[in-house]
Amino acid sequence: MAAMSPSERRLQKELMSLMREPPPGVHVDGDQAGQNLTQWIIHMEGAKGTLYEGERFQLQFKFSSKYPFDSPEVTFIGGNIPVHPHVYSNGHICLSILTDDWSPALSVQSVCLSIVSMLSSCKEKKRPPDNSFYVKTCNKNPKKTKWWYHDDSV
Amino acid sequence: MSFLFNLLKGAFLRMLQLIWFGKRKISNSLSIYVKTNTGNTLSIDLDPKWDIRNLKEIVGPQLGISPEDIKIIFAGKELHNSTIIEECDLGQQSILHAIKLPPGKNRLNRKKDTKNLIEESIDEGSEANESGSKPLNETLIDLPLEDSDRHENHSEQEQQQARAHFYVYCSLPCKSVEAGKLRVRCATCGSGAVTVDRDPQCWPDVQQPRRITVHCENHDCQTLLSSLAQKDEGTPQVRYAQFYFKCANHVSLGEKDEAVPLYLIKPNLRNVPCLACTDTRDTVLVFPCEAGHVTCLDCFRDYCVARLRDRQFEFDDNHGYYTLPCPAGCQNSHISEVHHFRLLSPEQYEQYQRFGTEEYVLRAGGLLCPRPDCGMGIIPPDQTDEERSRSPDEDDCRRIQCIGGCGYVFCRRCLQGFHVGECDSQQPTTYSSTSAVSCLSGYAIDPLRASEAKWDEASKKTIQISTKPCPKCRTPTERDGGCMHMVCTRAGCSFQWCWVCQTEWTRDCMGSHWFG
Repeated sequence: MAAMSPSERRLQKELMSLMREPPPGVHVDGDQAGQNLTQWIIHMEGAKGTLYEGERFQLQFKFSSKYPFDSPEVTFIGGNIPVHPHVYSNGHICLSILTDDWSPALSVQSVCLSIVSMLSSCKEKKRPPDNSFYVKTCNKNPKKTKWWYHDDSV
Repeated sequence: MSFLFNLLKGAFLRMLQLIWFGKRKISNSLSIYVKTNTGNTLSIDLDPKWDIRNLKEIVGPQLGISPEDIKIIFAGKELHNSTIIEECDLGQQSILHAIKLPPGKNRLNRKKDTKNLIEESIDEGSEANESGSKPLNETLIDLPLEDSDRHENHSEQEQQQARAHFYVYCSLPCKSVEAGKLRVRCATCGSGAVTVDRDPQCWPDVQQPRRITVHCENHDCQTLLSSLAQKDEGTPQVRYAQFYFKCANHVSLGEKDEAVPLYLIKPNLRNVPCLACTDTRDTVLVFPCEAGHVTCLDCFRDYCVARLRDRQFEFDDNHGYYTLPCPAGCQNSHISEVHHFRLLSPEQYEQYQRFGTEEYVLRAGGLLCPRPDCGMGIIPPDQTDEERSRSPDEDDCRRIQCIGGCGYVFCRRCLQGFHVGECDSQQPTTYSSTSAVSCLSGYAIDPLRASEAKWDEASKKTIQISTKPCPKCRTPTERDGGCMHMVCTRAGCSFQWCWVCQTEWTRDCMGSHWFG
C-alpha cells in the first residue's frame, strides 16, 4: 500500500473512530467511504422529541487534499432534504463552522453533531427566507457579516 | 656522564610518552581548539573517551602550566575533571577555554576573599562542578516558552530521549533545518570564556538580554566594562550572558558561525497528538497561542503550503511579519520567527518571500509591474500639490514606468499598457503606442492583418476561454475544483466572488449554487 498523505491518514482515523463510536442517530457508510476516502455518505436520523423525529437524511462530505486545513464540503443529498431555515432545498447548509469558523481541530464528528443540534433546536419547519433583503443591507465584506449566521438558536 | 644519562633518559621517556599517547589516539579522534586567557590557541586531537583530567595533562605542558592550575570552560560551564569528553556535546573544531588559575589561589580561598554576592554564587556553582556538574546541553531539556511553566520535573528517561532538543535553521553551509547546540558568551566582551551563574530555564532566559549573569575570565573584559561605564553611567557593573545557537550538523566554522533557533519546534516529550493528523510524533511544532496547539512537522508544512497557494498568509500588524496564525484560529498566535517557514522546500520558501514582498509593496501604497515574468515592485513617488497643479492632465498621473525592471509603461488604473483617455476594461490596448509610432514614420499597416498576426494570440484566447476575471481587479482566474466561492489570490485583492454570477459572493450564491 502506498504511503498515505497526512490528509488521508487523518481521514482514515476519523472514519475508524466514527464507525467504532458513532454519535447517536449518526451512521457512516463505511464500505463506500473506505473505497474513496475523499467522499463519504453519512446517514442521519432526526432526534426523538424534535420536529424531525422519524425522518432520515443523507449527508455527503467531500474532502480536498488540503483537509483538515480546508473545510469539507457538506451537503444534504437524496430524496429527503430537511426543511429548515438554514438548509436550502438543494441541500446546501448555512453553518458557520463549514466556512469561516472552520478549524482543523474540528472533525466530521463535530460537524455531524453541529448539524444534529442545528436540526434539533429548530422550532418551525421552513425554508430559508428570501434573503435578497439581507444581501442588500448586510456588510459588503462577507468576513465581517457575522449575522450571515445571525440566529444560532434556530 | 650524568649529562649523557639524562639525555638518554629524556629520549626514553619521550618515546614512552609517544607510544602511550599514540595508543590513545587510535580510536576516532576529535580535533578541537583550546583557547587560553593569555591569547594562545592550541589545536588538539582528543579521544572522545578521555576525561577532562586527560585533557588538562596534555594542555598543561604545552602552556607551561601545571594541570592542577587549569580550569576548562565550555558552553558556559566549568568542566569537572571526571567529565568524559564525549558527554559534553563537543563537535569537531569546537573551542574549549583553558583558564590559568591565579597561583596559590584555589577556589576555596577565593571564596573567602570575595564579598560580592555574584562571585559567591559562581563559587557555589564551581563547587557543584566539583561534585560532578553536567555540561549545559544536559541540564536543559525542554525550555518552556513562558516563565510560568518552568517548574516541571522530567524523569531520567525523558532526559535521555531529549538529546537533540533544539532546532535551528542553518543558513550556511547546510541551508536546512538541523539540530542545534546552545552556546553562551559574555555580552560585554564577546568572549566564550564565561561560566553562567545559573542555567537558563525557559526561552525568555535565552532570548532576552540581561536575564542571567556570568563570570567572565577574559582579562580585557574588566577594562572594557569600566570604559563603557565611564561613557554611560547606566551601564551595569555585572556581566550578562548572551546565548546563541550553532548548527550541530556541520563542523564548526569558528566563533562567528551561528544559526537561528526555531524555538517553536520541540521534542514531543508530552506525547501530544498532532492537531491535524492526530498522530503522536517525536518532533512537533507548538504554536504560540495560549492553548499551545500542536502540529507535527508534516502537517505544519501542509498547512503552510495550503495557505501559501491561496495567498492566505497574514501581516502581523504589530511587527510587520508576513506570517501565519495557529491553524485553530487562536488570537495572538502569529509565528514571529519567520525562519520556521524554512521547513518548506526552497522553492516554496522563495514563493513565501516573493508573496511577502509583494504584499508589503502593496500595503505601502505601491504597485506591481503587470507584465508577465516581471512583477517588479514599484512605489511611485507621491505627487506634491504643486506638481499636480502644473500637470492637470490626469493621464500623467496614471502613467507608470517599470524603472529598474522591464521598463514597461502601463496605466496605473487598469494595469494594461499605457493609453490616453478612458480605460477599456475589455480589450487590452497594449500596443497602442507602437501603432502610433509606426503611423508617424509613414509605414502603413492594415489594422485587420495586424490583429491576426499576433504572437501571443493563441495563449490569450486560451486564457480568455479557461478563465474568468476577478470582478474587482480583473485578474484572469482559473477554477480547478472545489466550490463556487472564489477568493482572489492576487496580491492585495482577496475579493470574494462567485464563479457563476461573476459578482460578489452572496448568501444567494451560497443557497442556490454553492457547490454547483
